Amino acid sequence: MKHTKVWILVTVLLLAVCLAGWLLVLGGRAGSATAQIYQGGQLVRTIDLSQVEQPYSFSVDGPAGGNTIQVEQGRIRVSHAGCPDQVCVQQGWIANGVVPIVCLPNELVIQVGGDEAEGGLDGVSG
Amino acid sequence: MKSFSTRRLTYLAVLTAVALTIFVIEAQLPPLAPIPGIKLGLANVVTVYAVFALGPGQAGLVLLARILLGSLFAGGMTLFYSLAGGLCCYLVTLATWRLLGPRLVWACSMLGAMAHNVGQIAVAVAITRTPAVAAYLPILLVSGIVTGVFTGLCAQFLLSRLPRPGPPGRGGS
Repeated sequence: MKHTKVWILVTVLLLAVCLAGWLLVLGGRAGSATAQIYQGGQLVRTIDLSQVEQPYSFSVDGPAGGNTIQVEQGRIRVSHAGCPDQVCVQQGWIANGVVPIVCLPNELVIQVGGDEAEGGLDGVSG
Repeated sequence: MKSFSTRRLTYLAVLTAVALTIFVIEAQLPPLAPIPGIKLGLANVVTVYAVFALGPGQAGLVLLARILLGSLFAGGMTLFYSLAGGLCCYLVTLATWRLLGPRLVWACSMLGAMAHNVGQIAVAVAITRTPAVAAYLPILLVSGIVTGVFTGLCAQFLLSRLPRPGPPGRGGS
């Protein structure tokens, strides 16, 4: 029984640490609102979201039918995906923070904020 | 090569079928959250049960068969994530199940679920070649802890209710 109590404590602690990490990631750094779009690990496009006057969209090819990306002032989203699960579409708009939009079937990643040099996130997650 | 009795072989096959059925049905449910990789993982009730009822060797066989067959039904890239996650989870379970014992099945399952998430993320980073994907790890771990404890408790109740299977060797009835 003693062990059970110890493990309940460990569980609660782990949960607290992960929740704290989650909040840290969500809070993110406000940073510059620059969106970087990667496909297959290559940077294919960089957009300064604060400079967007008119909303527009464009397509990025990918192995699972590609994605259509929509841009408005200060925010970006995937409006259409060729893959069956549509996870990236359901994620909706992102404007800042560290959580990227990821479409695994198309190997697409959209990241907002941070520098163009890699490691912008690693500085946060340690 | 150790050979199983027909009875044990059938038992393993039934467990695999149960796990696969749960896996396929769960895949039809809408996603719990708009984040890839978060799910209840109910099929792991069977895996955890198998580790404690049959030992890690045979549980590994059930897990491997379920992942390979499951990815046939789910399709796509699922296989790599499942395999990496399953392997990490299996190794952690292998290391902890004897230490923790039958009263702490849920803790063992929780640690395994967390290892599963780490494996998943590692593969996602490798496939997308984007380290930023690791930002999902805390979120996945929160879900992993909750679902791991839940499936572990399910398995723990199963273990205390179901009669143990017969000996693994030759013969048997």
